Amino acid sequence: MSVAGPTSGRRRMIGAFFRNPTACLGAAVVLLVLAYCVVVPLVSPYDPEDADFSAVREPPSAEHWLGTDQFGRDIFTRLAAGGLVTLTIAGAALAVILVIGVAYGATSGLLGGRVDTVMMRLLDGLLAIPRLPVSIVILVVVGLQAQNVQTVVLALSIVNWMITARLVRGEIVFLKRQDYVRAAQALGAGRRAVARRHVVPNAFGIVLVALFLELPAVILGEAFLSVLGLGPEAPTPTWGNIALEGITFGRLWLVFLPSLAIAIFAVGANLLADGLGDTLDPRRWGAARVGRRWRKLAEQPAPEIV
Amino acid sequence: MSLAAFVLRRLLWAIPLLLLVMLLTFVLMRGAGGTPFEPPEGVPGLPAPEQRELADFYNLDEPWFVEFGTYVRNVATLQFGPSLVNRSRSVDDAVVQGFPVTGELILLAAAWAIPAGILLGLFAAVRRSSALDHLATSTASILLVVPVFFVTYVLSRYLVYEWDVFPLGWDTWQGKVLPVFALGLAPAGYVARLTRAAAVETLQADYVRTARAKGLRRSRVVGLHVLRNSAVPILSAAPPMLALLVTGAFFVESAFAVPGVSAEFVQAARAKDYPMILGLTVVLTVLVLVVNLIADVLMATLDPRLQEERA
Repeated sequence: MSVAGPTSGRRRMIGAFFRNPTACLGAAVVLLVLAYCVVVPLVSPYDPEDADFSAVREPPSAEHWLGTDQFGRDIFTRLAAGGLVTLTIAGAALAVILVIGVAYGATSGLLGGRVDTVMMRLLDGLLAIPRLPVSIVILVVVGLQAQNVQTVVLALSIVNWMITARLVRGEIVFLKRQDYVRAAQALGAGRRAVARRHVVPNAFGIVLVALFLELPAVILGEAFLSVLGLGPEAPTPTWGNIALEGITFGRLWLVFLPSLAIAIFAVGANLLADGLGDTLDPRRWGAARVGRRWRKLAEQPAPEIV
Repeated sequence: MSLAAFVLRRLLWAIPLLLLVMLLTFVLMRGAGGTPFEPPEGVPGLPAPEQRELADFYNLDEPWFVEFGTYVRNVATLQFGPSLVNRSRSVDDAVVQGFPVTGELILLAAAWAIPAGILLGLFAAVRRSSALDHLATSTASILLVVPVFFVTYVLSRYLVYEWDVFPLGWDTWQGKVLPVFALGLAPAGYVARLTRAAAVETLQADYVRTARAKGLRRSRVVGLHVLRNSAVPILSAAPPMLALLVTGAFFVESAFAVPGVSAEFVQAARAKDYPMILGLTVVLTVLVLVVNLIADVLMATLDPRLQEERA
């Protein structure tokens, strides 16, 4: 095992992160979009939901950087506010995904044997079912009265936890075969102790990677539901709702901007997931363009966007 | 294990999965509470005698397991029953009219997207790390991240509504061109990325070097050895690929007025038409399971080791 203390280990990990161009670029993109969505609604002189009929459908100008929409709302502000709602939905969904995915994956991986086989077969089956129709079914069931943010979060998290579960399970199966775990077992450590001390803590990194891999699908999922008219109800801005307004009112500009935001954020999150995968594994520090063991664990290749 | 036994085992696995999906959807719907006859906004309620008729058909007054049993029996005999909202329409009508259209759309899109993606991916892999590779790879990635509703909006608005280059609708082949093209873009990008990744690995294998060393032409090596050995990873991506196509179909069908099943699905969801949603979900699940089975069998034929592992 490593001689270095925890602090130096962490510092080396941070160093490896900053030396990895993919990770840095991904983190920069994600942070920039995040900053835009958080800061702009706070400092903007315009309200994202207040109509101003004296300035409808204006092109970009010094006052309105991205122009105004059909109700005279400042698009630059509204896109940020919408992004904030979308990202909040995504964040809440990721929290639920984390719980379900880790619980399912860890149970399957730690128990092993027949239980593992059945649980993984079931997961394969669930992964095969297209998510959009399923999330629509869930929305229908949960949101009996009105579609709001919570129902969308629930619908998105129920259909998107499978990659996390699979990655966590794969990592735990991998860790269980490692020499230090077998050494601990040979020294007489019980099943529980091995799991608690040696296996589960080391699977932490994979969870982070998994969440960033799920993120684009969640963001796109919100947009898909909203564009179909099943997202959070009208005055609430989300990227999907803004695109829906663009489609309804026939403005390419309003469809283009949220689509671009989604695409940029999805690319950023994917780069970050790849970069994190490379840097969280000490065995790969300093290696050039490193292999993608974690990606491969997902078996279903590149699941990010579906 | 023989291939037949492998197929049989996979088929047997599919039955509990299908029942599970049915049970989950069913319990969710039922657990939502209230009566399915409570009309949602804008939908007129049903007169009492017809409510009675529907309640009898679906056994709505019985305990949930009796109701579920009735439903499973109905599905097994391919009688999905009438819609709860639209009196003149049965779920069977929707299935029979909608699924062939959606199926045709998806198959046609896959028919151009998969070969195009494979070609683009091979092209990039052979010229690995060159400028052309970067161009091809970024094209593939862009195709994958651009939201499908943006593509369908742009194509339908300009090429159909404003410039009249293509007609609207699914009746003529000219009308099918754009929907099929739009739907295939993201899957093409996906296949291209998969193919590139798989082919880059295969290109470094010893047998490829041997084939080159004994003087085989590059095109033949790629066509014969590389493509064949990259087929398994590409096939293993059939489920996410199908998901991409199904998701895309929702937006393509609404943008180009294709009379497929997705509009029905969204409408049923808005109107809380339970038997309709349930029926469409079940049929969709069956189709997805069949496609995955076909992909699994193809993979197992190409790589017999998989017959042991994946069974």
